[in-house]
Amino acid sequence: MEIIIKDLKKTFGEKVAVDIAELTIHSGELLGLLGNNGAGKSTLFRLILDLIKADTGTVRMVGLQPTGNVDINVAETEVWKDWTGAFVDESFLIDYLTPDEYFQFIARLTDTSDEQLQEFMAQYQHFMADELAGQKKLIRTLSAGNKQKVGIMAAMLLRPQVLILDEPFNFLDPSSQNAIKHLLKKYNEETGATILVSSHNLQHTVDISNRIVLLEHGKVIQDIDNKEKQAQTILENYFEIDD
Amino acid sequence: MNKYRLYKLVSQNADLKMKRHPMLDKNRFMKFLMAFMWLYYAAILLFMGVVMAIGMKHSYNGVAAFHVFDGGLIYLLITDFWLRFGLQETPAQNAQPYALLPIRRSFLMHLYLTRSGFAWGNLFWFFLLVPFGLISIAMTLGWGAFFGWLFGWWLLLVANGFFYLFCRALCLKHLAWLLLPAAIHGALLAIMLVPEKNVLDMPCTILMYDFLQWKLLPFLFVGGLIAFLYWANYRLQIGMVYDEVGKKEEREIKHATQFNFLNRYGKLGEYFKLEIKQRMRNKTVRMSFFVGLGFMIMLSAISYFTPAYDGGFMRSFICLYNYIVLGMMTLVTIMCYEGNYIDGLMSRRESILQLLQAKYYFNVLLLIIPPIILLPLMIIGKMSVWMNVGYFFFTAGVLYPLLFQMAVYNNNTLPMNQKITSKQGNTAQQIFSMVILFLPIGVEKAATALLGDPWGYVFLALLGIAGIATHQYWLRNVYRRFMVRRYKNMEGFRASRNS
Repeated sequence: MEIIIKDLKKTFGEKVAVDIAELTIHSGELLGLLGNNGAGKSTLFRLILDLIKADTGTVRMVGLQPTGNVDINVAETEVWKDWTGAFVDESFLIDYLTPDEYFQFIARLTDTSDEQLQEFMAQYQHFMADELAGQKKLIRTLSAGNKQKVGIMAAMLLRPQVLILDEPFNFLDPSSQNAIKHLLKKYNEETGATILVSSHNLQHTVDISNRIVLLEHGKVIQDIDNKEKQAQTILENYFEIDD
Repeated sequence: MNKYRLYKLVSQNADLKMKRHPMLDKNRFMKFLMAFMWLYYAAILLFMGVVMAIGMKHSYNGVAAFHVFDGGLIYLLITDFWLRFGLQETPAQNAQPYALLPIRRSFLMHLYLTRSGFAWGNLFWFFLLVPFGLISIAMTLGWGAFFGWLFGWWLLLVANGFFYLFCRALCLKHLAWLLLPAAIHGALLAIMLVPEKNVLDMPCTILMYDFLQWKLLPFLFVGGLIAFLYWANYRLQIGMVYDEVGKKEEREIKHATQFNFLNRYGKLGEYFKLEIKQRMRNKTVRMSFFVGLGFMIMLSAISYFTPAYDGGFMRSFICLYNYIVLGMMTLVTIMCYEGNYIDGLMSRRESILQLLQAKYYFNVLLLIIPPIILLPLMIIGKMSVWMNVGYFFFTAGVLYPLLFQMAVYNNNTLPMNQKITSKQGNTAQQIFSMVILFLPIGVEKAATALLGDPWGYVFLALLGIAGIATHQYWLRNVYRRFMVRRYKNMEGFRASRNS
C-alpha cells in the first residue's frame, strides 16, 4: 500500500507543525522518521491516521486490495482502517481491560479467529516475557514499557498492510528493543507491509529502515536511501553526535 | 526565596490552574456559559435575599426576619457542604506537584489551608446574606449589628469549609468516610424534622443574635472550632501528600469475567462487554451507578412508607427519575469517558457507531431495574402501571435519543477511575440534565390533561415505541454528525485528558 502525501500543512497557532509539499511512501518500504523534539513526527502520524485535521493538503492510500485497486483520501472514508495498524500513545489503549482482553477485543473487531489469535500470541511469547499473557492485571497498572508492548502488539494483530508506530523503542528494555527491531524487519520482509516508524534512536532506525526521512520544523529536509545502511554518517552529522 | 514570595508564586500557580483549564482555555462558549451561570446563581441569591427579608418581615408576627432566617442556619451549612464536592480540591491534591521541590511540606499545607480559609468561594453565600442583612438588620439595628452578623456567618462558612476538606481528605483514603458527614447531617436533619418542634432552631438563632451583638464568646467558640478543624486538616493532609504522589492501584484484579455469552453478537457484543467492564472496573463510573441506584431506592421507599410524595407532581417525578437516572448519569456525559482512549477507537472502522449501538442496548437493558423497584408502589396503588409503561417506552424511545445527541457535542474527557472527582461534567451537561429531569413531566401532564389517564400514558408509550423502532436510523445520524465534528471533538478530548 502506497501512502501519498501532497501539500500537507498543519499549524498550531503561529507554529508550523507539518508542511510537506510532496512525499510518497512506497509499498513495502520500512521508513524511519527522524527529527528533534517538535519536528512534527507525531503530528504527521496523526494526520496520516486522520486523528487531526490538516489545514490544507491530502493523505492518500493507493494500492491493491481484495476488492480491487483502491485510491482513497484518508479524511474522506474509513475503509483504510481495515488495513492499517497504529500505536502512537496510551490514548490507543483501553486501560481497564487486561492485555488478553484487549487483544481479544482487537481480534474480534478485525475478524481474527481465536486460533489466529493463539498463533499470534505464541509468536510474540518471547516479546511479552511472561509479563502480559495470562495476567490478571489491568493495562493501567502495567509499567510504561509493558503498555508500549501491548500497543505495538495490538497494532500488529490485524496483520496490517500499513503499520505506523510512534517511538516504539521508548520505555522498552534493551532486549525488548532488540526483539521489536527483529519483529518489524521480519514482518516487513514477510508481508511486504508499508511500515512507518519514528524514533530518537538513530542506531535502531538505521538498522531497520530502508529509507529515512528527516524532519525539521515540519518540513522534510532530507530523504535518505538507507538500503545499504548509509544514512548513519549523515544523521550523526545532523544531530551533531561526537564519537 | 523568602516565604512571602513563595506564597505569591504558589498562589499564582493555583490561580493559573483554574484560569488555564483546557476546557475554558479553548472554548469561548464554555467561558461565557461559566460566567453566565455564575451571574445567574448570584442573581437568584440576591433576589432570594431581598424576597426573604421582605416576606419574613410580614409572615411571622413579632419575630424579626433575621431570627426566622437564622433558624435555618443548619440547612444552609449542609447545602454549602455538599455543593463543595463538585468544586473544591483538598490541599493534599494541590500540593502534589511541589512534593519533589525544595519547599517544606508544612509550609505548603499552611499555604493551601490558609487559601482555603480565605477563598472567595466562602463568600458566595453573601449574595444571599448581604441583601437580606441590609434590609432586615442594617435598617433596624444599625451597621454594627449587620457587620457582626455577617462576620459570624463568614466564620461559620469557613468552619464548614474546613470540615468539608477534612471529610474529603478522608474520602480519598476510603470512600466509606463519606458516611461520616452523611451520618452527622442525617442526624441533624432527623433532630430538626422528626419531632413536632424543631429543637435546633432556637440555639442557632441565639448564636447568630450573639454575633449580631458582637458578644465575644460565640466568636471565640467558632474561632476555636476553626482552629481545631485547621489543625485536624493539617495533621491529616500533611501525611497524604506522599500518599497522593505514590498512590497506586491494586496490581491484580480478582476476577476477570469474560462474558463469553456475548461473543455470539460479534463486534457489537465486544462493545457491550466494554460497557459492562467500564462500569465494573472504574471507580467513578461504578460510583455514579450506585449513587443513582441508591437514590432510586431511597425515593421509592420514602414514597412507599410516607405520604410525603403523594402529590401528582412528585409521583410523576419519582417515576421519571427511576427510569431516567441510571441512563442519564452516563449518557449526559456520553463519550467523555471514551475520551481517555478515543484515538484507539477512532482508528477502527465504524467503531463509534458500534459503540453507540452497544451503549443504547445496554441502557435499554437497565430499564428492567426501575419497574422492579417501583413494583411495591404499583401494588399498593400509589403509582399506576400505565404511568410506568408510558415512562418505560418514553425513556427508551424519546429521552435516550435526546441524551445520545450529546455524543455529537461532548468533547471533554472525564477521569474514570477516581474515588471522587471534581470533574463531573461541564455546565452545559448539567443544564441538559435538568432539562431531561423536568421536561418530560410537562409532556406527561399535557398528554394526560388532553387525553386523560391512561390514554396520555399510551401516547407517551407510542412516542417511545416509534423512537425504539427507528433507533438504527437516529444512532447512525448521531454517528454521522459525530464524524463531521470529529476533529474538534478529538482536540477537546486530548486537551482535557490529563488536566
